[in-house]
Amino acid sequence: MNRRIFLMGLSALAGCSRDTRPRLNVYNWSSYIAPETVPRFEAEFGVQVRYATYESNEEMLAKALTGNSGWDVVFPTHNRLAPMRENGLLARLNHQWLTGLDNLDPRFRAPAWDPELAWGVPYMWNATGIVYHRSVQPPPGRWADLWNPALKGRLTMLDDPEDVLGACLKKLGRSFSATDANELRAAEREAIAQKPLVRAYLNAEVRDQLVSGDVLAAQLWSTTAQQAIDAEPRLAFAYPAEGFPLYCDCAVILRESRRARLAHEFLNYLLRPDVSARIVQATKTATANRAAWSLLPEAVRTNPVLYPPADVYARGEWPQTLPPGTQRLRDRIWTEIKSA
Amino acid sequence: MKRWLAVYAAAFFAFLHLPLLTLAAFSFNSSRFTVWERFSLDWYRAAFRDPQIMGGVWNSVIIALWATAISTVIGTGCAYGLWKRGSRLLTGGLYLSLVTPEIVTGISLLALFQWMFRWLHWQLGLYTVVLAHVAFSIPFVVIVVSARLRTIGPTLEEAAMDLGANEWQAFRRVTLPSLMPGIIAAALLALTVSFDDYVITSMVAGVDSETLPMVIYAMARRGASPAINAISAMVTVGFGALILISERMRER
Amino acid sequence: MKLRRWFLLPAWLWMALLFLAPFAIVLAYSLLTRGTYGGVGGPWTLENYQRLLDPLYLTILLRSFAMAAAATAICLALAFPAALFIARSNRHRNLYLQLVMLPFWTSFLVRTYAWMFLLRDTGLINTALQWTGIIHGPLPLLYNNGAVLLGLVYGYLPFMVLPIYATLERMDPALAEAAADLGARPMVTVLRIIAPLAMPGILAGSVLVFIPCLGAYLTPDLLGGGRSAMVGNLVQNQFTTARDWPFGSAVSIALMALVTALLWALLRKQKEPIA
Repeated sequence: MNRRIFLMGLSALAGCSRDTRPRLNVYNWSSYIAPETVPRFEAEFGVQVRYATYESNEEMLAKALTGNSGWDVVFPTHNRLAPMRENGLLARLNHQWLTGLDNLDPRFRAPAWDPELAWGVPYMWNATGIVYHRSVQPPPGRWADLWNPALKGRLTMLDDPEDVLGACLKKLGRSFSATDANELRAAEREAIAQKPLVRAYLNAEVRDQLVSGDVLAAQLWSTTAQQAIDAEPRLAFAYPAEGFPLYCDCAVILRESRRARLAHEFLNYLLRPDVSARIVQATKTATANRAAWSLLPEAVRTNPVLYPPADVYARGEWPQTLPPGTQRLRDRIWTEIKSA
Repeated sequence: MKRWLAVYAAAFFAFLHLPLLTLAAFSFNSSRFTVWERFSLDWYRAAFRDPQIMGGVWNSVIIALWATAISTVIGTGCAYGLWKRGSRLLTGGLYLSLVTPEIVTGISLLALFQWMFRWLHWQLGLYTVVLAHVAFSIPFVVIVVSARLRTIGPTLEEAAMDLGANEWQAFRRVTLPSLMPGIIAAALLALTVSFDDYVITSMVAGVDSETLPMVIYAMARRGASPAINAISAMVTVGFGALILISERMRER
Repeated sequence: MKLRRWFLLPAWLWMALLFLAPFAIVLAYSLLTRGTYGGVGGPWTLENYQRLLDPLYLTILLRSFAMAAAATAICLALAFPAALFIARSNRHRNLYLQLVMLPFWTSFLVRTYAWMFLLRDTGLINTALQWTGIIHGPLPLLYNNGAVLLGLVYGYLPFMVLPIYATLERMDPALAEAAADLGARPMVTVLRIIAPLAMPGILAGSVLVFIPCLGAYLTPDLLGGGRSAMVGNLVQNQFTTARDWPFGSAVSIALMALVTALLWALLRKQKEPIA
């Protein structure tokens, strides 16, 4: 008798997670959406959205590469689109279902990485820079300032080979997308020289440690930095003088998705000016959506952290997809830095 | 000598327990910093209101119950079969699976699933996580049930068969009832290892399978919300209770 | 005897499907080549194993060895007196044993997080030290090898206590008494008489601690802040960031071979199962 109850309990438990509404599975960066974005979509379209978050492109790619991850919509950074397409992971977008594409900023209508917007819809863009506590004197303004011994133990760098090597390359006056082995080796030496100062390699997780004062300076994405600044006004953000990378995260539909139509609806929903503007307000991102931008209050539109002025923006560089040989060398260098 | 040993033992137990006790104590602190302000249940409220935490708890419970049910049945059968006549290959496999580094188990299962998906139209998710948990909790069940079988001994079952019971009847009517405490203890153990696992789960998780340990891990990396202290305290108390019950069962 | 076959069938299935098959796939991957963008493909090669001999990866392997060995040694030093105490106590022996086991069965993740909570710059230890005025700025306690070592010791200490206790408990107390009667000082008795007799337990405990420490992933990741790579992190890194599954597989296979050899050596020495 007990057994029967137990089994019934089990099947009841399993049954509870069933929902008859159509489903859409969305996998996005953490803190990259407004609290009401998904519930409103669910209500309007009568669907159920499974939403989960990741902290790095690699975490998402590790799942997507299985080809049966279960996710429909993910948000890779622009220079990951090419490798994902090469691996047959992406579904081609149907522009008939994406009526909101006209809302995009002209800069993102035909970006270099995807001129026809055939594979991904630009979602939000941001840059990597330095966030620091105002008590740090002099305030860091260049990547080279992150090699200051005074920051020992209170400095974090991103847990991302591209960004860490990129900062080193920029410090040396090279391109973010450098492929030359000598340049990369020189960058590696810089990273290893900096390592004794580095407290940890952390991504968005560093936000709360900045707010609590554990960390005084960090290499961080502008979006996450602005979230930290909102919580702790004594923090500030700098776009490094040597130059900095600009990233655009794009909404893509995985080829494995069996809900392509609904996935397009979701992408189109994210293109709506009011939806996008709400996300910007809630999560402090820079939207790729021109129509949404005009809906934002003046204070946000002129926020120099999210929307750097033209002269600062000009120092930015969009990292390119790297040739496989370079990627291998960079992977190796990253392992060397980590184990140094 | 004796006194020194006792002093040392006190320090030793303090080292084992104080970290968790202070963590639990500070989960009742109203301040978000590590300075005691006053008693408050705010962080518990925050934890219960957090949809991600509650979703994680729910997924963890479903996964742990399924994995426990399946692995207890398989593991008990295995222990019973091995008790009748050993198999070096199977025993070796059990030991080896027990000592395989978690990360290796995780990536090999991920590789397996990816390979299987070429033919099966499955997806990473609840099923794959349950399968993975079954995979690593079976050896625990076998060990606990085997220990119980050794204490029971074969005499009762032999007597039953002498009196005319067939193999199945002897198992069902004689061995199984006296084995019950061991099985329950094994199930509770499987439940805790399943509920606790992070490394393997994170490798094979997909949609609908963000478990509580994955949520705790993400929060620990971020590092500041005291809601995680509250969750940790509750998890610790829950686990402690399960294990105490399990110990009682084993002693019976 | 027919029944036995039916009872073992699911377990055999388990072993074939969820243990041997994944292992075979990883073994096959370790002999293949990495594709352009991270896939796995031909031709067959031993290159991934050759790469293991690269000083870079050997260093990581050696560091993991050193960390695991250090953790094992510290565990032994901490656990032996505790096991002796428990074995010699009469009244509350079961209580003590449960006190050892209890934290072990609570969530490993939570126990690791507890140390993060204590060691952070704004954590309890630093706050307390600053409040008492012993130090002025916070000490960097978290995100270094020391923190990782502490986490490993704390995580696997019970694995050391229990086997040592088991051998000590079975030991005839008359032996120690005889040594004392013959004039041996207590420390001498412990080192010369008790420790050698407890060797099987010490050995079992050491292997039980060493093996999981060697393959540790979570502890270096959380308490080390991604600064110091151990072999578990190398595997994870190859499967995610570097997307070099063949090399990650080769590292896994090498790790498995090491673990198997250790376990085999232990089981040969010990007739009885420890668990």
